[in-house]
Amino acid sequence: MALRELVNKIVPIKEDFSIKSLLGFKKTPLNVLVFFMIMGLLLLLVWGLAQFLMHGHHAYNVTREHPWGLLISGYIFFVGTSTGLCIIASLGHVFGIKEFNHIGKRTTLLAIITLLPGFIIILTEIGHPVTMMIYNILTPGITSAIWWMGTLYGLVLTFIILEFGFALRGNHKWAVRLGIGGLIADVAAFTTLGSVFAYLVARPIANGPFIPLYFLLTAVVSGAFFMFMIYGFKHKLNFPEEVKITLVKLAKILGLLLAVTMFFEWWRIITAIYGDMPERADTMMRIIASTSFQLEVLFAMVIPFVIILVSKGTALKALFFSSIAALISIFLMRNDMVHHAQMMPMQMLKKTEYQLAPTWIEYSPSPVEWAIAVGALGVCFLLYYVAEKAFDLDEDDHH
Amino acid sequence: MARYGMALDYKNCINCKACETACKEENGILMGADKHRIWVGTGEIEGQYPLLDLTSNVFHPSQCQHCDNAPCEEVCPTQATYTDENGVVRVNIDQCILCSYCMNACPYDARYVDDRTMTVDKCNFCAETRLARGETTTACQNTCPTKVRIFGDLDDPNSEISEVLRTREHYSLKAHLGTKPKLFYLT
Ligand code: SF4
Ligand code: SF4
Ligand code: SF4
Repeated sequence: MALRELVNKIVPIKEDFSIKSLLGFKKTPLNVLVFFMIMGLLLLLVWGLAQFLMHGHHAYNVTREHPWGLLISGYIFFVGTSTGLCIIASLGHVFGIKEFNHIGKRTTLLAIITLLPGFIIILTEIGHPVTMMIYNILTPGITSAIWWMGTLYGLVLTFIILEFGFALRGNHKWAVRLGIGGLIADVAAFTTLGSVFAYLVARPIANGPFIPLYFLLTAVVSGAFFMFMIYGFKHKLNFPEEVKITLVKLAKILGLLLAVTMFFEWWRIITAIYGDMPERADTMMRIIASTSFQLEVLFAMVIPFVIILVSKGTALKALFFSSIAALISIFLMRNDMVHHAQMMPMQMLKKTEYQLAPTWIEYSPSPVEWAIAVGALGVCFLLYYVAEKAFDLDEDDHH
Repeated sequence: MARYGMALDYKNCINCKACETACKEENGILMGADKHRIWVGTGEIEGQYPLLDLTSNVFHPSQCQHCDNAPCEEVCPTQATYTDENGVVRVNIDQCILCSYCMNACPYDARYVDDRTMTVDKCNFCAETRLARGETTTACQNTCPTKVRIFGDLDDPNSEISEVLRTREHYSLKAHLGTKPKLFYLT
């Protein structure tokens, strides 16, 4: 078992970790269901990746007028959740909120395993990922938000993996230092991703400081929902006292952030509509009239907010279920955001183009796009399962 | 070394689409409604007979504006989009990673994906074909039966385009975005 010793030298792995321990889960109906769900998601991803390798972008429903689709939104969903988790992970050791100390290691791990599926997705969205790696270095486009975003996310991954490694080794000093580095890089990276949209001068609905700020806020929101989901599953809704205290605190923070998010949305809508400016007011009217927007406000903001408000953050079971609905809504919310930025046709002089009058641009993802964006979740769950078996994720007592 | 631009006497356009065909022929552009470097915008005639609004039926030929301050170039992460020594905004297909950022950033919908190379393509003032052969006209300009397009060096005060821009009123599209287009519409 030379490999095991080698790995153990770098990061300590659990004594009883083996392929056998991985397969030896208790065959309860819930576990079996989760097993099949993960396998199903992974199969979906593999099929999607195979289609991508065979047909490239032809397998997607993106068009000249709507060049960004579900894969961009899937990427935003995962890396945004990761940024949120990274911020939550730092609440304890970096910001000194001691109730969060004991979740630091597990949350950092969650940040890693949500970042990786994001990377898988973006590599299939970029038409030529290998060319990207070469020319990002040879001829960096330093005025490009995409260049900065990519570079910063490279840094983020390095930081948080090292942070996790040091935390596993019990080296808190370095874990915290790297945690601070990771936090700064992560906030910079995700807000830069927001700026990819915010810089689009040609698209009044996206242009301006709103999206980067909104990204930062909703990142923490989506990270918090992810925490409730994972902890709910882990403890099968029977939370030990220590976890309960942390989650109630997290719920309160979440409640506050949801209130701020709704406030943000409100003023964004009003300022976009007021004055009836073309390309902005009409786009916003169309957004608020869409069912998907109404559902996302309801499930990702209003319902969880009401639960937290009424129960003062203590209704953890209700929050668990509403978190799952909220995460699905946030996934769709990312898709909506990307779509909203593009749905207004560039008016130009193309009053009619090849006999077709330009109308609102429609987009619906292809099966391959769905398979990759949703299937990537399988990677996330699988990695979590393996990590849970392999590493000691609960904080040491000595802290 | 030149700074190429184009003036369009667009009111002369008769919507024959010869320019679209010539561009496809000269530059080997794929067939398909989405695959175009150049287009003619047409408006449905408005109003009820006999009160027809004839001005609504004007034709607007257009293509990449070769912006001096090009958003597509600014957002490109690998500098695949660049302005060449003649002021022509071009795409280096070896460097393009198909991130599609430029397609979203261009305010003029001037870019599309070439299915052969799976990279972004756009009007390049025939830089790889006619200009490369030493000619000084573009295919769309050359073919136009009503001579809508005037193509030439904006830096040369004696060029036809400089002369026209000095003597005739003109405007640029979405100039308020600060893109500084090098396509000029003559009024
Ligand atoms: S018109 Fe579009 S593609 Fe052409 S230079 Fe301007 S921004 Fe770039
Ligand atoms: S699609 Fe190609 S040309 Fe356009 S921004 Fe990306 S790398 Fe540059
Ligand atoms: S200048 Fe050349 S490349 Fe550009 S639209 Fe005209 S024919 Fe096509």
